[in-house]
Amino acid sequence: MTVNTDQLIEALVRDTPPVPRRAVGRRLVAGIAAGALGTFLLVALWLGFNPDLATAIRHYSFWMKWGYTLSLGACAVAATARLARPDGDAAGWLWVMALPVLALAAIGVFEMSHVPSAQWLAMWLGQSWSICSARVFLLSLPIFGGLLWSFRSLAPTRLRAAGATAGLTAGAWAATLYCLHCPEVSAIFVLTWYTLGIGMAASVGAFVGPRLLRW
Amino acid sequence: MIGGLNGDAASQARLLRAIVPIVTAFYRRRMQHGQSDIDDLVQETLIAVHTRRATYDPERPFGGWLFAIARYKMIDHFRKSGRTCTIEGLEDILVAEGFEDSSGARMDIDRLLDDLPTKQSDAIRATRIEGLSTAEAAARQNIGESDIKVSVHRGLKALAARIRGE
Repeated sequence: MTVNTDQLIEALVRDTPPVPRRAVGRRLVAGIAAGALGTFLLVALWLGFNPDLATAIRHYSFWMKWGYTLSLGACAVAATARLARPDGDAAGWLWVMALPVLALAAIGVFEMSHVPSAQWLAMWLGQSWSICSARVFLLSLPIFGGLLWSFRSLAPTRLRAAGATAGLTAGAWAATLYCLHCPEVSAIFVLTWYTLGIGMAASVGAFVGPRLLRW
Repeated sequence: MIGGLNGDAASQARLLRAIVPIVTAFYRRRMQHGQSDIDDLVQETLIAVHTRRATYDPERPFGGWLFAIARYKMIDHFRKSGRTCTIEGLEDILVAEGFEDSSGARMDIDRLLDDLPTKQSDAIRATRIEGLSTAEAAARQNIGESDIKVSVHRGLKALAARIRGE
């Protein structure tokens, strides 16, 4: 043994600052906020805001998109907060996440029933299907980085699951900010390509989690 | 724990000292490693309990939180040592694994024997596992030698039938 256990305890407790209430939540929110600032700047400087944002914001499809990404983001943060504790389990929140997906699918079916089927493909692909998912994924990276910082003082024990929910959180909030640029309006576009980008972020999170979240 | 969360160093120290024997016992039950490995793990757990105490939710049981950390540290330790496992240690590992197999087999035998009538299982234990002679077993159980022989025979027959799934 290198250090005597009593000495170790002495040394440890010399540094015992009070822990604020809801410390885990604060730490996560700080990491997400710092990352989201980076993502916001990327949207503003690299992609640019949607020039028609002022009119788009009055249209229901903008709020449909935000409703979808924000509710996914909220569930993902809740799940991440559970997994940031050693004895946490997040399965419940992942089930809740099915609700916005099903709701958006229902809207998508409703929209498709109101247009001739010849337009369905155009609705689905929009103008930006080939880049949308990749952009959502790239925009998620700053937020994922912020979450990695948050996790440095937290204690996840299921690293793959924690990495996946961190990626999910980053993807959902990145998609929320990407709405400020993206001009697409159809529900099935969002359901497919946004979800694909968010899913990519979650997969990469699950892949790197065991390596980057170790403590 | 609550005192430690509020910044009270003395109660935090009391908590850490109280954890030491609990966590030591936890590791000793689960690992066949030397004392120094266990000491290292206990210390790592103490450090984690202290530096990551913010992740404890006062509304949840403390034990679950503590053992989740202890288990994580143990798995992490296995992962690390598994990666750098040296060939010299192989003999120890094989011995340890043989021990696990034999203790597993012992448990299976006990479970099978428990299903038999006491007289038969006692007779089998005495003559076939402990290695007593028929006469010694008969003397110990206060029954006749032929009774022992019959009990062993019937018991083994019943076990064989059970293992064949009849």
